[in-house]
Amino acid sequence: MSRTDPMTDSPELRELQEAMSGVAMPVRPPLEAITTRGRSHRRRRLSAVAGASVAGAAAGTALILGLTGLLGHAGVPKEVKTASFMIVSHANGTDTLTINPSELLNPSQLEGDLAQYGIPAEVTTGSICTSDPAPAGFAQVVSSSPAGPGTATPTSGAQPTITIDPSAIPAGTELSIGDFQLSSGPNAGEQQADFVLIDASSYTCSSTPPSSGILPSGYGPDDGIGLLYGGQSGS
Amino acid sequence: MSKDESGFAEFFQESWDPCVRAVAASTGDLLLAEEQVAEAFARAWTAWRKVSRHPAPRAWIVRTALNAGASWWRRRSRELPLDGHDVAAPSKGAAGLDTALLAAVRRLPGRQREVVVLRVFLDLDVEATARELGIAPGTVRAHLSRAVAALRSELAHANPTEADHVPH
Repeated sequence: MSRTDPMTDSPELRELQEAMSGVAMPVRPPLEAITTRGRSHRRRRLSAVAGASVAGAAAGTALILGLTGLLGHAGVPKEVKTASFMIVSHANGTDTLTINPSELLNPSQLEGDLAQYGIPAEVTTGSICTSDPAPAGFAQVVSSSPAGPGTATPTSGAQPTITIDPSAIPAGTELSIGDFQLSSGPNAGEQQADFVLIDASSYTCSSTPPSSGILPSGYGPDDGIGLLYGGQSGS
Repeated sequence: MSKDESGFAEFFQESWDPCVRAVAASTGDLLLAEEQVAEAFARAWTAWRKVSRHPAPRAWIVRTALNAGASWWRRRSRELPLDGHDVAAPSKGAAGLDTALLAAVRRLPGRQREVVVLRVFLDLDVEATARELGIAPGTVRAHLSRAVAALRSELAHANPTEADHVPH
């Protein structure tokens, strides 16, 4: 690549790299310590009550994913907060994941935190990952109210709620969440989030937002959910 | 050991140092960085099938560690100020981390600091950094340029040259 790279042209960044190279790092712990810790995470995750709900947000408000679980146990974070989302564990046993649509979503972090709740996910911004054929079983994993799975309604009207059941995710599949900022079409200026299942070993990702029906090509009304939020209602 | 397990073991062995270095540069706390990164590797182990396919697994570790640290601080209700940047003030004994340059890195806005850490310590190019953060490559370059300008300014104030003191 021939374009100018601030990295190579910056003595400050080179000095930073050199400064840290001179700091002695802590001794790497034994691999067994890491895997033991990971196993304890798995045990806590499997003991959580399965279930999560996702609510589409109206203009200017947040997308809410509600996770029902026995959280608040020792070692399980009561609150995880980033600029783009927050997970809060409540005293009544429910947990909410709030996505802030005014901040760019942090896909890898959201994936990691969803994984803690037993939800394997592929989260992407500006793209959506899909499989061909679409895996079966979406309706058992994700349910919605009031309209049921399928195309969501625009921002006006009642907010849709989506519930995710981690225990119903078919083996070999993952939840694919694609988040788009729409710049053209009838919903330009709005944010779109699509939820589908993918074959974890065989999927492709496209940067083209699903158009008609808000679901990706190859996914029928029972195979996914699309949400529109943010922007201006009625536009 | 299965192929998956050996793959994780190799990744852990090769990535521990650079990941701790990246997190420590961002937080200024080597002991906390060690804890955060260990937690991130444990999480990666539970989701290794996914993390191993991530385009930049080390970046996954570092970002998970930094976010684990943010929640860790809130749970512990530490008194150290977070300065609105989700970064803890450096703890005592963080030898080598108390330089003016590293302090300046910790004062960068969160996104700029993130871009600097990914570029400098994980050797991610602009395109990979952009994909990791879900932003445009041009935005990465803009953040990097602003960060460099901020670091340069901070260092100039911390280490004024003789020219700044020429009597007139």
